[in-house]
Amino acid sequence: MTLTFTRPALTLTLALTLAACGGKATFPVAGTIEGLKYDGLVLSTNGMDLPLAANATSFSFPNPLSYGEVYDVIAKAPPAHQTCNVASFQGRTGVLYNGPTDTAGRFGAINIGVLCTTNTAALGGKITGLTSDGLQLTNGSTGGTVAPLAAAVSFNFAPVAYDVTYGITVLAQPAKEVCRVSSNGTGKMGDNPVTEIVVTCEPKPA
Amino acid sequence: MKNLTLRASVALACALSLAACGGSSGNLLLGGTVTNLFKPGLVLQNKTGPLLPVAAGATTFAFHELIGNDEDFEVKIATQPTGAVCVLANNKGKSGAYNITSVAVVCKTNMYDLGGKISGLDVNGLVLVNGADRLAIPAGATDFKLSQIDDGAPYGITVLTQPPGRTCSVQNGVGTMGAAAVDAVRVTCG
Repeated sequence: MTLTFTRPALTLTLALTLAACGGKATFPVAGTIEGLKYDGLVLSTNGMDLPLAANATSFSFPNPLSYGEVYDVIAKAPPAHQTCNVASFQGRTGVLYNGPTDTAGRFGAINIGVLCTTNTAALGGKITGLTSDGLQLTNGSTGGTVAPLAAAVSFNFAPVAYDVTYGITVLAQPAKEVCRVSSNGTGKMGDNPVTEIVVTCEPKPA
Repeated sequence: MKNLTLRASVALACALSLAACGGSSGNLLLGGTVTNLFKPGLVLQNKTGPLLPVAAGATTFAFHELIGNDEDFEVKIATQPTGAVCVLANNKGKSGAYNITSVAVVCKTNMYDLGGKISGLDVNGLVLVNGADRLAIPAGATDFKLSQIDDGAPYGITVLTQPPGRTCSVQNGVGTMGAAAVDAVRVTCG
């Protein structure tokens, strides 16, 4: 009597356990995005393209993969004004994200890292009339200071990120000239380098 | 004879290397890390021991005097740097068997207001910048304040956007921050 009940009960348990395996496990290719500020990013893997909007912080491709399928996520198109890298890195919260490529099923859940940084562009210009040392130009308080030497005809500041402002002023005059920023000294960085700032130096009045 | 010379020089070497320990009884280093120290004048001290000056730009420090095992230590700031304030962490305890390198000195350079007065601004639209720092100024404003900057940092204020129909110019807009707020910048619009 006891045995006749035990045997069906065991069979049922076994069947339920197998059903829990879902027949076939699937794995969504998903991840975390840090630093995305602009529209235009398109991630791609296994024939799927996934556009992401500005400020997105996570992604998940529409079709999950089966166990053993290989994925390789790439940034097919960058967002405007930024560059994104798909990579394994330690995120802000301390989580170590997965790299761009692996085999579905090797991790319980796939959490690929995408790190976006805003592009920077060069900032510089021309100098006319400088024949002595001592000139110092500054880009505000945090953009750096440059000291073109006598006879310099150009100058370069540290690159500036997109949408960040710059304002070049004469912090110190050279020994024999009076210099001024005569054009294009202030602006907001776009996508292209700024090379047209002009500093004009004239001999000191005797 | 040869042997004697050797023995003497070994003894001398021993004496010298012991003396290098600074006459202290210990054999453990006491030190740590220094973060964001851009100003001169910081002096550290362990309890009432000798003073240790730490130069601007230093990222680590270690006292010249070694300490012993199971010895209490308490690193203190004898003198703050000029134009900055430093605070200590992990600075008090008892030594074990290993060098102590975990004392942390974290400094912050003093910051001051940067601003001045405006005259003749009767429309919206003026935007001033100090490099990457941007400030829109509304019609009718008679003074302005940009973000605070570090003691010793240069500044250069320029006009990013002129208000419609007006031209504003900046006087006294360039300089180097000292140990007090700058309020002497003048913006004249007409």
